[in-house]
This record gives sequence, C-alpha cells and structure tokens, in this order.
Amino acid sequence: MKKTHNRREFIRSCSRYSLGIALAGVTGYALKDATALQWVWQVDPFKCTYCGRCATHCVLNPSAVKCVHAYALCGYCDLCGGYLKPGHIDRDTAAENQLCPTAAIERKFIEEPYYEYRINEDLCIGCAKCVEGCSAFGNGSLHLQIRHNLCVNCNECAIARVCPSDAIKRVPAYDPYLVKGSFSDDTNT
Amino acid sequence: MNKRWIHIILLLAVGLIAVIVIADYLSTRPGKRPPNPFAFDVSDYESVEESLISHRETRQIRITDTKAVHIASNENNIFLLTAGYLQTLTPRGEEINSISLGQAATSLFAFPDNSVIIAFENYLEYYSAEGNLLHRSDSAPDNALFTAVSTMENRIYVADAGNNQVVVYDLALKYLDTFKGESGVSTLHGFILPSRHFDMAVNADNELWIVNPGLHYIQNYAADGRFRRQWGKPSFTPEGFSGCCNPSYITFLHDGRFVTSEKGLVRIKIYKESGILESVVASPEAFKNGLKAPAIATLENDIVVALDFDRSMIRIFEPK
Ligand code: SF4
Ligand code: SF4
Ligand code: SF4
Repeated sequence: MKKTHNRREFIRSCSRYSLGIALAGVTGYALKDATALQWVWQVDPFKCTYCGRCATHCVLNPSAVKCVHAYALCGYCDLCGGYLKPGHIDRDTAAENQLCPTAAIERKFIEEPYYEYRINEDLCIGCAKCVEGCSAFGNGSLHLQIRHNLCVNCNECAIARVCPSDAIKRVPAYDPYLVKGSFSDDTNT
Repeated sequence: MNKRWIHIILLLAVGLIAVIVIADYLSTRPGKRPPNPFAFDVSDYESVEESLISHRETRQIRITDTKAVHIASNENNIFLLTAGYLQTLTPRGEEINSISLGQAATSLFAFPDNSVIIAFENYLEYYSAEGNLLHRSDSAPDNALFTAVSTMENRIYVADAGNNQVVVYDLALKYLDTFKGESGVSTLHGFILPSRHFDMAVNADNELWIVNPGLHYIQNYAADGRFRRQWGKPSFTPEGFSGCCNPSYITFLHDGRFVTSEKGLVRIKIYKESGILESVVASPEAFKNGLKAPAIATLENDIVVALDFDRSMIRIFEPK
C-alpha cells in the first residue's frame, strides 16, 4: 500500500504550521509582560466544559480568551457542527445558519466536499458555543485559548475563580499555549 | 448572661447564617451555575415521539476496571473488546472466556463458531473459539488505522481510517487487495473521513455496506470494491444523520434491516433495507450528557446491544 499525500493533507499541514507560527509570534509579545512572572494562565482544552464563563468573566471586554483552530484535527466538513446552528435552514454562510453569536468564524470552500474554517479573533468573544458544537459533532478541533497578546496576566485569573471544570491553570511563560494536537489525552468522541 | 443577651446573640447568628446563605446563592462560584447565555442547545432534537421508539432498555452490564473498546456479537454471545482483553459473554453478561491480547485492539468480528478476528491499529489476529492464535497478518504500512472488520465470501474486509480505504485479506490473513471507494464517475464516492469513525458490516444476504461518514451515506460495494448504491442524508431530525462523522457505527438485524449509532446527538435507530427510517431504538434522552457514539451489536429477536462508552456499560435494548 503506497503512501499518498493528497491536497487535503497538504492543506492540513500548511494550516498546522500557520497556527503554530501565529501563536509563536504573539508569544514573543506576550512574554514582555510575563517573563518576570514565569507563569501565565491558560485553558486546558481537554478539561473545558464550554460553560460560557470565559466570555463573561474575563476582566477584559471582550475576553482575552479566543477560539483557536487545530487544523490538523479538523475534518474540513461541509456540515460543520461548530459553524452551523443545529436545525440550520441551509448549509451556507447566511447569518441565520451560523452558530457563532458574533459571526466570528469564516467558512471558505476548498474543494468538493471540503471547507476551511478560520476564526476572526477581533470578533470572537470566547463564548465556546462553537467549541461545544465541534466537540459534540466533529473532532473537537475548535477550542479555547487565552491569547497572551491580550491577557494582562492577572494575579488571580477572574475566569479561573469561576471555571466549573478547573480548566484554567498556570503554565510556564516560555510555553504558554495548550493547543490541541500538540499535547493530547485519550478523549475519543 | 441574661436571657435578653442570649436572644440577641441567637438573632445575630441567624442573621449571619442568612447573609452567608444568600451571598453564596448569589455568588457565581463553580458549584453555582447561572444558565449559560451561550449554551449550545440541541434539546429540540433530544426527545423523539414515543410512537417512533421501538425498544426499551432491559439490562445493563457494568464494565469495571478497564476501558471498553468495541463490541460484537454472533447468534449466541456478546464479544467485548477492552484494553488488552477479549471477553466472550452470554447475553446476560456472564463471562464464558477471556483472552489476553498483549496490544490495544481497535475492532473485532465474531464468527458463528465463536472464533474471532481482532483488528489492531495496523494488523489483524485470528483466534479460535478456545482462544488460540490461528493467524496474524503482516503489519500494514504507512498511516494505517484499522477501525472495523467484517467478512464476506471467505474474504476479510478491514476499514482503514488512516488511509481512507478498505483493505482485503483472505481467511489466512494474507493481503489481497485495497479499494478507496471511487466509482470512477465522481471523486465524491471516495471515503470522506472527518474522524476515526469508519465502520462497515455485511448483512445476511452477503452485501458489504460501508459508512461514508463525511457524506452521511451508507454505501454498498461489491466484493471487488465496485461501488453499487448508497442511501442516507444529513439531518438533526431522526430521519437523517447529524454532525459530520455519522453514522459512527452500523450493524444489521438478522433480516437485513440496518441499525445505526450516532455521536453528538447520541441515538440508535433502525432503517429498513431501503434506507427508510423504521424506528428509534434509543433516543438522545437515553444517553443524556453523553457525546460518544455507542458501538452496537445485535442478538436474535431484534435485540440491540449498545456499548455506552460514556457510562462504561453494555446496555441491552429489547423490542417493546
Ligand atoms: S470557564 Fe472553564 S469550562 Fe467555562 S468555557 Fe472557560 S475554560 Fe471552559
Ligand atoms: S462561537 Fe464563541 S468562541 Fe466560537 S468563534 Fe464565535 S465567539 Fe468565538
Ligand atoms: S488572567 Fe485576567 S485578562 Fe487573562 S484571561 Fe484571566 S481574567 Fe482575562
């Protein structure tokens, strides 16, 4: 059986590296606040239970928590559980069909039947609605992360105090993200 | 201390307790959850009309101290794959046999004589009913991830989710062939696998049916891998398959009707041979707070056996 690399795999690997590079870029900026502290706050995506408090309890408005996309885990599905409302009328980009309350997810046709989903972080409020939809119906590639270019690294993270799942924890400032795919557990939904 | 002071102290204590209770009630500490304004709500699809539900749950068999992986059945027994073990059980859950497997297996197929083919990540093993290893296949190369195994006309068909293909072996587990599901007419007929859910089953008429989960189709292929026909549609209502990786599992009742299991909106349903929804075995309400699709098997008399990963138990559903 011969190993083949199709276009979808190519897209996936490019996307994987672009997510890594993007997060690494902002890490440098983040470290200007964090190096002295050694530790920063981060969401453990395998513990998050999508309660919505990341959107409502951050000291910043909008929240420093954003949805990020682990492209390597994504199925590039047309019928995306993180993008489309349950009971959507049509499978398209019309506002009434979108799950995200702020239309922060952009859907782009790649090739039949694959679609790519990108998060517009300026619009994302970190509400985790898409994360729950993606985890329930898809592969859980959408997940929350505290973005360190925004987070002011409070002494005690206001979200950590109310997180019902103990999902917000301190991580070393030199490795400030817990992006799915770069660490794992055995969750298999 | 006179009585008056005792009353004042008691009143203060009661007041203090009331303040603590009210403050606690109004607080948003983790144990006290105000409703989530951003909740992902599928409640409209969780309840199913009672008249559509054909089965009721009659028995649960708890799985303790181990992680369940998959389930299969033949006419008499249930075969439970757990981390490192294969257990043969009676329908009442009594253990008949147990085989230690060394490696973590992924799927299995049980013959009528209780011999079993077990799929591991990239190879197969064939065990006799007594638990003796009869054959082992070579390891499949590259990214192989075997997720389902079935047999038809002395051939063994294996779903390889790592390479979006079906691999064919003979009964001695010698490699014969591979097919990717293309019909030659449209690339849409290739297997579209958003996740590691890639199941297949053979019905009593020796028809090989393979799930194409990214397209929400169940597709029929000839023994040589030629695409023949398909049915299925995406929908949150019971008629179709929800989400992007469904149905996650399929199997057959003995007369050829399909049994399907879905993740996300977790539900088990029966479809006629034509692909028309016949009934719901278990609605999402039976799997409240669960997300994982139960692996499924069937026993005689239309009994459906579900391996509930979220609750770590085998659940038996019998016709009402
Ligand atoms: S508060 Fe905790 S459980 Fe709620 S969305 Fe944030 S990380 Fe997830
Ligand atoms: S649904 Fe919520 S978390 Fe997801 S992209 Fe939209 S605002 Fe962000
Ligand atoms: S540390 Fe402060 S700014 Fe950062 S996510 Fe928590 S509450 Fe928001």
